[in-house]
Amino acid sequence: MLYHAVLGGLVYGLYFTLVGLGLNLMFGVMRIVNLAHGDVIMLGAYAAWALFTAWAVHPLLAALAILLAFTAIGIPVYYLIVPRLLRARDAEMLSLILFFGLQQIIEAAATIAFGTTERSIPGRVLGHHPVRILGQVLPAAWVWAGAVSAVCVAALYLYLYHSPPGMLTRAVMSNREEAKASGIDVDRVCSLAFGIALALAGIAGVFAPFMLGSVTPAIGPDLNIAAFAVIVIGTLGNPIGTVLGGIIYGVSLMLMQTFLSAWANLLPNLLLIAVLLVRPSGLLGRRVRRA
Amino acid sequence: MSPEPPPLLEVRDLVKRFGGFRALDGLSLDLRAGEVLGLVGPNGSGKTTCINTIGGLQRPDGGVVTYDGRRIPGLRPHRLSRLGINRTYQSPRPFASLTVRENVLVAATEGCGSTPPDLDTLLASLGLAGQAARPAGELNSAEQKTLDLARALATAPRLLLVDELAAGLNPTELLRMAERLRALADRGMAILVVEHLMGFIERVTDRVIVMNAGRAIFGGRLAEAVRDGDVKRVFLGGAHGG
Repeated sequence: MLYHAVLGGLVYGLYFTLVGLGLNLMFGVMRIVNLAHGDVIMLGAYAAWALFTAWAVHPLLAALAILLAFTAIGIPVYYLIVPRLLRARDAEMLSLILFFGLQQIIEAAATIAFGTTERSIPGRVLGHHPVRILGQVLPAAWVWAGAVSAVCVAALYLYLYHSPPGMLTRAVMSNREEAKASGIDVDRVCSLAFGIALALAGIAGVFAPFMLGSVTPAIGPDLNIAAFAVIVIGTLGNPIGTVLGGIIYGVSLMLMQTFLSAWANLLPNLLLIAVLLVRPSGLLGRRVRRA
Repeated sequence: MSPEPPPLLEVRDLVKRFGGFRALDGLSLDLRAGEVLGLVGPNGSGKTTCINTIGGLQRPDGGVVTYDGRRIPGLRPHRLSRLGINRTYQSPRPFASLTVRENVLVAATEGCGSTPPDLDTLLASLGLAGQAARPAGELNSAEQKTLDLARALATAPRLLLVDELAAGLNPTELLRMAERLRALADRGMAILVVEHLMGFIERVTDRVIVMNAGRAIFGGRLAEAVRDGDVKRVFLGGAHGG
C-alpha cells in the first residue's frame, strides 16, 4: 500500500508540477502573481470538455489545440495589461489585486456560460485498461496526465536553456533593467512567456476532469492554492524547481489519502505553512531563485 | 604631412546638471580612431558623468556630442551600442544566472549593429575560455570586470568607454588589461578611459584630459600634466605657486 501510494504520488505529482509550472514561469519572468491561474486551468478544462462533447475531440488533440490557442490569446492579453501594470510603483502587490478581479470575472462568466453542473470526460477516452507500472496498477488517465506533464516540463526546459528566445527570457529573469539596457525587446520576451504560462495552465486543465473526477467553474481557487503550494515548496521564480515541489506535493497527498484520508484536503495549506515557516525561500533556496 | 582624419567623437561644451550642481560644466574633447584618451581628476570632477552622458545613460543638459559625423543626443545605450559605442561599468552587472558565454552571446545578438566578432576567440583572447560554461554570478570580481569588457567587445564597438576597469585588479591583471586595451586601439578602436591609477593611465593612454569641477583644466600628455600648475593645485590642494 505504501509503495502504491508513493508511485501514484509520483505520477500525481508530475501532474501537479504542470498545475504550478505556468504560475511559476509568469512570476519568474514578470514578477507578477497570477491569482487567476487556477481559473485559466478551469477554462482549459471546459475547453477540453466542450471539444469532447461537441465533436468527440480526443483530449490529447484538445491539449495541442489549447497550447496554440492559449499562447495566441495570451500574447495580446499581455500587451493589454502587463506593461501598464509593471510601470506601477508596486507591481507585485497590484498584480494580486488585478488578477484577483480577473479571477472573479472569469469564474462568474464561466458560471453563466456553463452553469454549476459538474462536468466530466469519461476516463475510457484515454484508455480502457489501467496501466501496470513497476508492478502497480494506475488509471490510464493518470499515466497520460503524468506523461504529458513530463513532456511539458522537458519542453519548457529546452525552451529556456537551449533556445535563443529562452536565453533572452532567462536574461530578463536575471535582471530586467540590464536586459532592457542591452537592447533586449523585453515586452516581446515577456509576452511569449505570458502566452506559454497560460498555455501550460490550459493543458493542465485538459487533464483536470480526469485527475479531479469532474470540474465546475468554481475549481479555480482550489487549484490555485495547490499551484501555490507546489511552487513555494519548489522555490518561487524557478520554473524547473517546480518539479521538486510537484512531486513532494503529489507524494504527500497520496500518503495522506491512503493513511489519513479525512485530512487530505488540508494538505496544500499545511505544506504551504510548513515551508513558509521552515524555509521561506523554498527548498532549493536562494542559490537558484533567479535561475 | 597628410591631413588628419576628423575625430570619431567630438564633444563640445557638454553640460550636465544634477539639481543645482553642474557635474559637467562645458566639457569639450576630441577622440580619433586608434587613440586612447584618459580622463583623470579628483573624485566628483565629472569623469563618470562624462562617460554616462556620452554613453546614453544620462541626458545632457547642454552641448553637442558628435559621433562619426552624426549628432547623438539622448539616444538610449542599446541604440548607441548598435551604432558602435559601448562601455564597461565601474561595477559590472552581468546576467548572474546566465553562463559567461551566454552573457556575451546576448550582447552580440542584441547590441551589435555590424558583424559580431567570433565569441570563442574573444573569450579566449580575454582569458575567459575556461570560464565560458560557468554562471557569471560565480566569477570573482576581476573575472566579472573582464566579462564586462567581453560583453562590450562582443558588440564590435568602434568607440569604447572604459569606466574604472582597473580598480580591484592585481598588478599582473592590470598589466594584462593595459596590453589588451592598447592592442584594441592599435587595431583602430577609439577608447576613452576613466581611471584613478596613474600607472595604468600612463601605460594605456596617448594623452589625458585632467578634469576639475566639470571642466577640462589640462589636455596633453600625462608627463606634462604632472608639471602643470593648475593640475598640481587641483590634486595637491592649496597654493603651490606656478
